[in-house]
Amino acid sequence: MKGMLPALSVLFAVLAAAVPWGLPAHATFILSLLAVTMVFCWRIIPGTTLPAYLAMLFGLLGDLLGGGPLGFWALMMLIGVTAGGYAGPFTDGRDLKRLWIVWSIAAFLIAGLSWLLASLYFLRWIDWWPMAFGACASVLLFPVVLHGVLWIRRGRLLPERTALYRRWT
Amino acid sequence: MRGRNSPFKPRPRRTWRAPGELLNFTLYFLCAVLLVLSRIGHGAVVEVRDRLLDVTGPLLEAASIPGVMSRQAVARVRSYMAMAEEIDRLKAENEQLKQWEWRAKLLERNVSHLRSLLHAVEEPALHYVTGNVIADARGPFLRSALINLGRDHGVRVGYAVINGDGLVGRIVEAGDSVSRVLLLDDLTSRTPVLVGRTGVHAIATGDNSAELKLDFLPEGTTLRLGEEVYTSGSDGVLPRGLRVGTVTGAKGAYKVRPYAELSGLDAVSVLFFDTPALIRTDPPPVTAGRPLSPSPEVDEAPAPVPTAAIEPDPGGAPIKQAGAIEPAAAGIAQARP
Repeated sequence: MKGMLPALSVLFAVLAAAVPWGLPAHATFILSLLAVTMVFCWRIIPGTTLPAYLAMLFGLLGDLLGGGPLGFWALMMLIGVTAGGYAGPFTDGRDLKRLWIVWSIAAFLIAGLSWLLASLYFLRWIDWWPMAFGACASVLLFPVVLHGVLWIRRGRLLPERTALYRRWT
Repeated sequence: MRGRNSPFKPRPRRTWRAPGELLNFTLYFLCAVLLVLSRIGHGAVVEVRDRLLDVTGPLLEAASIPGVMSRQAVARVRSYMAMAEEIDRLKAENEQLKQWEWRAKLLERNVSHLRSLLHAVEEPALHYVTGNVIADARGPFLRSALINLGRDHGVRVGYAVINGDGLVGRIVEAGDSVSRVLLLDDLTSRTPVLVGRTGVHAIATGDNSAELKLDFLPEGTTLRLGEEVYTSGSDGVLPRGLRVGTVTGAKGAYKVRPYAELSGLDAVSVLFFDTPALIRTDPPPVTAGRPLSPSPEVDEAPAPVPTAAIEPDPGGAPIKQAGAIEPAAAGIAQARP
């Protein structure tokens, strides 16, 4: 059951991103991007597995629920997986800064690629603001998502701050 | 003894990552292929999407309950906080509406009298069915919403979708129990409209922002801010006279602010308005024992005209009610008094 936690949590995030929360038009990119953030976080936590094909399937589910072109969010999920794979493991609290920077680069890459793909798709420049807003929000929320993923993995929130970033090795 | 430079020291085990890399490359390639197929609207992609729409419907319906409940709770708290002001506002509005009611009745009598003099043909009633939004997933590509009404409820591709405030969009995909509504602000949405009292023809174009652009206005047209925009029906798909919004912006860059709050949709109604264009693109299914009719049969008693006051069941149960709107009654579907 514990091995399925990454997949289940990402599935939950993809479903939650599709639910009508009544967010304003410029904030609609955030929820789906948070699911990608979650994929990234699961990839950097040692001892957990979230295969690329599974992330892609969740992305396809997101495409299906969102009504956008099939393959778009699947591609973004794959970028999240690849970035997580290259970022290295999160074994220490000191790794947070490095991983945060890696995620920031990945988030803006995803936002830029989204804007480019959407512009190519419609053969006109589309509004870049929702993507940029989503990327900024996902960068700011990265520690929160990482905290949440760690909480899901442990099943409880430890009271001490140091315990969150304790060494696995 | 094996030193640092000893040729006999054990070499690190070489990890062969080729299968993983190959799998990743294949997955990226697959995504690119799917994107291209989606862009060209390949039949297989469309068919798979249609089939899976019904599968995901119940899942989303269940998943949307907490979201809907939390939004209702927030709305309730807000309304409690502003209750005194709201009561004053409603009292003033009620007084104003009483005057309008009297005037509307007078006009209605005049219209029916004039129609009888002209031997005008009676306009058919617009039937509708009401449901609620179960998914509101929007991204850079699409502004759409999934509703818990489908072909089983008589919904077909092209039907107009309204809420208590005005036009919301139209149906672009219809499964058995779930349909997708393309919202007015979507980049691909084009709605033929009439503007103001003079009825200037234009096209309201979505651009993924909160306001719609007004394209194809006649050269040199000057509009007044706040003028009403409503559907012209010239596309042969949407009924004429559905409220869309009001004019904003400046000359040369007029925009329309939709009446409906598109980012916070809850209960919506689908209008059964069959036109030759619509029947040609999405023909009605021929079922045994049921003759083809211009609009789906409504078994239930006509419900009141849908308004924004219709609230979903607090328990999260979906709204599904049917009814009819008399265009002459100038209800929600008709913009002009």
